[in-house]
Amino acid sequence: MTKQNTLREVEKKAYMSYHQDGLLDIFIGLYAIAFGLGIVADKVLDFSFGIIMPGILIAIVLPIWLQAKRKITMPRIGYVNFGTRGSNKLFALLLGLSVAGLGVFFLFTMATFQDGRPEWIETILFQYGMIWIGLGAAVIGSLFAYTMGLKRLHGYGLLTLALFISGYFLSVPFEYLLLVIGSVIIASGTVLLVQFTRRYPLQKGAIAIASQ
Amino acid sequence: MPLPPSDEGIQNIDRLIHEPSRLIIMMHLYVVQSADFQFLQHQTEMTPGNLSSHLRKLEDAGYIEVTKDFVDRTPHTALKLTKKGREAFKQYRRDVKRFIDKLPE
Repeated sequence: MTKQNTLREVEKKAYMSYHQDGLLDIFIGLYAIAFGLGIVADKVLDFSFGIIMPGILIAIVLPIWLQAKRKITMPRIGYVNFGTRGSNKLFALLLGLSVAGLGVFFLFTMATFQDGRPEWIETILFQYGMIWIGLGAAVIGSLFAYTMGLKRLHGYGLLTLALFISGYFLSVPFEYLLLVIGSVIIASGTVLLVQFTRRYPLQKGAIAIASQ
Repeated sequence: MPLPPSDEGIQNIDRLIHEPSRLIIMMHLYVVQSADFQFLQHQTEMTPGNLSSHLRKLEDAGYIEVTKDFVDRTPHTALKLTKKGREAFKQYRRDVKRFIDKLPE
């Protein structure tokens, strides 16, 4: 039996075992790839897939993720309800990010449509756009990593920052960077998923035992 | 044999919770709202028989509540600490801490 030092460690172990299945990573990666492909489609088909893609993806990916959790994770490690404490923190983070996102959108719109705007705003916003996006991804990744206790999200955020800075200096198009980032995150998620399925193989009768 | 005065505090400690396996079960259920048998078994690394036996004792004491329902048409057993169990665990922590704090260095 593993020795547990504190209740916090017990809670963390329970939470981590539930989120070490790689499914979240795979879906973040799929999201990045689909978003990148949407922008490629913008250019090829001259239709604004890139703008509507995030909404479409949330509507498609979220139910699939929840189903995958039920079909892959729960039969292997069982079901747990962590209560509202963690989800409240996550909700507060999402709310904060939404407000921040609206603020950034407002500033961006003001800077874009204002006549006689200072040149430095244009320089900062558009010339270094890739770096801003990379920084944004790193900050958002870190916030989610902290809130959810998943350290690898820090890594994804830093990877995005590094790639976008490199992409800025090497003039690599935004959408190709998204495809690379998405592929790396999917690969990482797949490794985690394989490890998870090996560590927690499907046990026939697990439900029967549980119902005794 | 009566305990010496310095050991009096230990008499208050809930022996049902104090048993290591049950203590671990209580700790795991304390940090979540509810969990099923399989999850608890993975977390505690106990055998099904051992876990069942300890759960039964905790259920008999009214410390845990076992609810059975169906998830995706399969029977599912959820376990959670009752209010009494949660309070008993909090009290156990206080009692153990108080007793240990009294021990000489």
